[in-house]
Amino acid sequence: MAQHTIQMTVNGEPAVAAVPSQMTLMECLRERLGLTGTKCGCAAGECGACTVILDGEPVNSCMVLAVECEGASVRTVEGLSRSGKLDPLQAAMITAGGVQCGFCTPGVLMTARALLDRNPHPTDAEISEALVGNLCRCTGYLPILEAVRSAATAS
Amino acid sequence: MSAKKASPAPLASPIGASPPRIDAHEKVTGAVQYTDDIPFGPRLLFARIKRSPHPHARIVKIDASRARALPGVVAVVTGEDYPGYIGLYLQDRHIFCRDRVRYVGDPVAGVAAISETIAENALELIDVKYEVLPAVFDPEQGAKADAPLLHPKLEDYVVAPFIFPQNGTNISNHFKIRKGDPSEVWGICAAIVERKYTIPHIQHVPIEPHVAVALVEDSGKVTLWASSQSPFAQRNLIAKTLGISQSDLRVVAPAVGGGFGSKAGVSMEALAVAIALKTPGRPVKLRLTREEEFHTAFVRQGLIAYFKMGCAADGRLLAMENRYLWDGGAYTEYGVNVTRAAGYSSSGPYEVPNVHADSLCVYTNHPVGGPMRGFGMPEMHVGLEQCIDDLALQIGMDPVEFRRLNCLKTGSTLVTGSKMHPIGLPECIDQAAKAIGWGSKAAPSSPRKRRGKGIALMWKAPAMPPNAGSSAWVRLNEDATLTVGIGGQELGQGTFTVMAQMAAAALGVPMEWVRIATPLDTEYSPYEWQTVASRLTWSMGNAVVNAARDARGKILKVVAEAWNEAPEDLDIVNGNVISYKTEESLPMKDLVVYGLPRPDGKGWTGGPIVGDGNFMPTYVTGLDKETGQGERAVVHYTTGAQAVEVEVDLDTGRVTVLRGVAAFDVGRAINPGLVRGQMEGGFVQGLSTALFESLQLQEGVLQNPSFVDYRIATTADAPEQVEAIMVEVPQDDGPWGARGIGEHPMVPTIPAIANAIYDAVGIRLSSPPYSSEKVYLAMLEAGLVD
Amino acid sequence: MTNARPGLPEFDYIRPTGLDEACRYLKEHAGQARPFMGGTDTFVRLRDGVWHDTYLVDVKHLPGMRTIEFDAAQGLRLGAAASMNQVIDDPAIARHYPLLAEAARSVASFPLRTRATVVGNLCNASPAGDTTGACLVFDGLLEVHGTGGGRSIPLRQFFLGPGKTALASGEIVTALRLPPPPAGAFGHYLKLGRNALSDLAIVGVTALGYPDPSAGSGFRFRIALASVAPVPLLVEAAAEVLCREPINETTIRAAADAAMAACNPIDDVRGGAEYRRRMVRNLVRQAVTDVWQRLLA
Repeated sequence: MAQHTIQMTVNGEPAVAAVPSQMTLMECLRERLGLTGTKCGCAAGECGACTVILDGEPVNSCMVLAVECEGASVRTVEGLSRSGKLDPLQAAMITAGGVQCGFCTPGVLMTARALLDRNPHPTDAEISEALVGNLCRCTGYLPILEAVRSAATAS
Repeated sequence: MSAKKASPAPLASPIGASPPRIDAHEKVTGAVQYTDDIPFGPRLLFARIKRSPHPHARIVKIDASRARALPGVVAVVTGEDYPGYIGLYLQDRHIFCRDRVRYVGDPVAGVAAISETIAENALELIDVKYEVLPAVFDPEQGAKADAPLLHPKLEDYVVAPFIFPQNGTNISNHFKIRKGDPSEVWGICAAIVERKYTIPHIQHVPIEPHVAVALVEDSGKVTLWASSQSPFAQRNLIAKTLGISQSDLRVVAPAVGGGFGSKAGVSMEALAVAIALKTPGRPVKLRLTREEEFHTAFVRQGLIAYFKMGCAADGRLLAMENRYLWDGGAYTEYGVNVTRAAGYSSSGPYEVPNVHADSLCVYTNHPVGGPMRGFGMPEMHVGLEQCIDDLALQIGMDPVEFRRLNCLKTGSTLVTGSKMHPIGLPECIDQAAKAIGWGSKAAPSSPRKRRGKGIALMWKAPAMPPNAGSSAWVRLNEDATLTVGIGGQELGQGTFTVMAQMAAAALGVPMEWVRIATPLDTEYSPYEWQTVASRLTWSMGNAVVNAARDARGKILKVVAEAWNEAPEDLDIVNGNVISYKTEESLPMKDLVVYGLPRPDGKGWTGGPIVGDGNFMPTYVTGLDKETGQGERAVVHYTTGAQAVEVEVDLDTGRVTVLRGVAAFDVGRAINPGLVRGQMEGGFVQGLSTALFESLQLQEGVLQNPSFVDYRIATTADAPEQVEAIMVEVPQDDGPWGARGIGEHPMVPTIPAIANAIYDAVGIRLSSPPYSSEKVYLAMLEAGLVD
Repeated sequence: MTNARPGLPEFDYIRPTGLDEACRYLKEHAGQARPFMGGTDTFVRLRDGVWHDTYLVDVKHLPGMRTIEFDAAQGLRLGAAASMNQVIDDPAIARHYPLLAEAARSVASFPLRTRATVVGNLCNASPAGDTTGACLVFDGLLEVHGTGGGRSIPLRQFFLGPGKTALASGEIVTALRLPPPPAGAFGHYLKLGRNALSDLAIVGVTALGYPDPSAGSGFRFRIALASVAPVPLLVEAAAEVLCREPINETTIRAAADAAMAACNPIDDVRGGAEYRRRMVRNLVRQAVTDVWQRLLA
């Protein structure tokens, strides 16, 4: 079966990887590039733990082939903070108590980041709708929604 | 070393404050390492498991020759090599099945290969011949004398002394309460309610699936990395079954992405170790797919519960007769204690003079019932709290008033004959009722909707052996920070943060100076029984406080000698040692490692400061085998109330939870922000189980093994608000009076919602989940809709 | 137990640069090759072991697959690979086919909709497909390219059974065409899932209504149902009731009853037939009432 060498930009840096056709972007990030911040919760596009931003749009990275990302720009949770300064969403997530076990957190942050990038002042309903595909079992969602609200207001 | 005059004013105590969690930064940046994130290098092998497709069958033959021949396969393992039994309270399970399989998904063989794909492909090349056996899918069927026997060797199994298997049957535990005599008072009851409730299996669904990596070195030493709530229990149980010494099995427990009980005890972790024993020198990683989680990880066992309860005309409960048949699953090594816990809690949080209860754990050919948040309490309270509502309504009494009258109070006599310690349950009821606006109803949001309010109470004690212990060490560093060693795991509940608060307060330093030694590692972490039972804040908290106080005592002794003072006149405030007598002050730095010069200038005193402490309850007395009565059944109880407001859609049956109120007596909220996190999170998890969740098992085969059809609550299902009310009646032996709160907010949610649905539309369902379909069809049958 | 694999099974990723090349490849490797766009249905089936293709052919980048064009005379041409989020954001669709955007918006989740496509939803041919109703009531047709050239398939003839379409071996859908919408039309997609949002449709009701002086009632409705038959179902009988007689609460009920009679749901792990039938009735009533009120306003 074919191996492909792909070149992407990940969190602003060039990245090269040799991947088989069936390797997903999620697996490529975690296993080839050592970016383990992106998590696998179901490998079926249902839980959102693997959400990253691909060419400016949020995707479940378990539902994207690495080979499809030749030339693409990918942003993961590791690329949210800049020079050690937390993204307002990350800071708000801490303050609001929206992190417990932390496993859903990277996916939640990336979906929320993609939402605020296209819609800087979402309504409460829009926030809830945007995050409906990011499952959390610990927090009950209320502090997560509060964090996104407060990050939106702050910016 | 110069001493300063006039110590600075102390910082506010961290106890009762809500500082941000200490692991938040690494979690929001993706830096924290979960087990699957750890690199193990190019020698890492991957394991996959061959599992039984039958709910009950004899294994006739396993032929793994084709699998062994597949290029890239390094080892294939079966139960042949592992004859030992394993189990926490009852050793009824092998690592890999030996003579028979008892549930769909039971592990039959394991493959280690150079890639997960090759290991997966190898599974198809393992030929297993089965002889299908008649199966049991219902605990009532399973409890009958003529049922197929799932564990013929039950009487030979090693069992904890407080578990009572019925040999020659499928009943692996029978717990009894015989207190007073209900038959003498049914005749004088003004109202009697008799109901049957059936609770389906559900599952924990942590977002991180199970994962374990095992490495066996040439020396024979074994290391296990696992997403684990219980590194010491896993070490103990796995070492015992393999016949090795505990210290030869090291367990490392990195960050855990949700547990809820599923990562306690031993489940898939033993498989990784068993496989790694056949690939010495090469680590083996086993991770469960989400589908495998649903099929094969611990489940919350199903329950068939019969309730009969009666009260006098004034509302006083006179008698209860309860029978609980637990669908324990294929192995009940852990689930037997759920049965026991439900038995000694069978009255609910009420004072009832006459109680007969039988709680039976029954083997079935279903997935393995294990510890899940609430440990039998959510399942039991579903029916119990609805019967209480029913009884109240029958005698024309308000359900809140009825509960207020009958609920446990300080000094109440419990179903086990013990007395209740100081508790604030009445205040929880009052506050919950007030906060939900009990007695008034707002108009529904549309003419085709109905509103209702419901309340439910709960109680729970930590269910554990009487001698479950905690320990801690505190090591001071040159910069006066302290590293705290603990064996209890951070699951997201915030235990690392709370321990840091407690260590800081007990020692007298700012909380920022405290580090927790992570990851948990049996090599250097001190023993902790398990991270379950909502026991850490109380039990491990005591150990941490003892260790911090020990360190404090050692520090003060050194300074006392250096200053020629009595240690009683000294204190540590803000990380400075101060004298109340002379007002001298000395930063802790340096002295905690290098000591201090003697006052006479001739030599040194002190040295590197390490404190240690432990805590183990010593007063649990056990319960009589026939009556369930005893002086002190448990360490303590956490009690509370939840109230909800719902809206029911008459056109679709959809139940929307508008808001919830949770009021629990936590003794003392060490970190109210984290306590609120448990109350909100537990409420929504409870809501999810009330409205959406059930493992749909048909002839032992799970029909919904994925998120597509096992639905859990999403952002859109969470209520607008969950109010978290913390009542604080101190626990006598809790640190600052604290007792546990992790599980409890999930316990009364289903019946609170059920009672609210009844208030809205006058119907009751005999089992959750209260899906739109079930509610609609019930309304249809009741003639409410057409 | 049937168990999904940990990851995707082995296959080769093929990326043709032209339509003819793609169709030829698919035809030559029939039974072993499959086209894909967003992959959200394809990858799941491969991992579950339902499909076993050796070659996955990425057709997203072929000419014309990603564009969205509208003109007043021709209507909408929605490139097959345009994502659901693109559909939701498109101003022409928002203006002329808001029902399609509403239906797309109900699918799964925001990140999934970056990959999922309306045409993929149609080709998946699940009776539960959320956008099938909107496409049917707008009288859509599919532009198809094969080794023999191009053809069109009206959607009414496209769905043959669960997972089965009228596509022949080697054919690829290149676009969905929706004729210009009827003037003054309003539509509503009502989806009943287990969760408040995001689930598959246990029952889905699509209703479109527009003024038509030639109709007895002065209006015409088109009603489509999801998840209650082997294919997405256009319910002519219900539409007939609303076209014949003056529209009021009674005729709406009669239309809803007709829809209930026309559907044929099954019991499955997601819901029971009896419940689904009654939900068809209740939701048709709600959806038609909603559209009716907007027509009157």
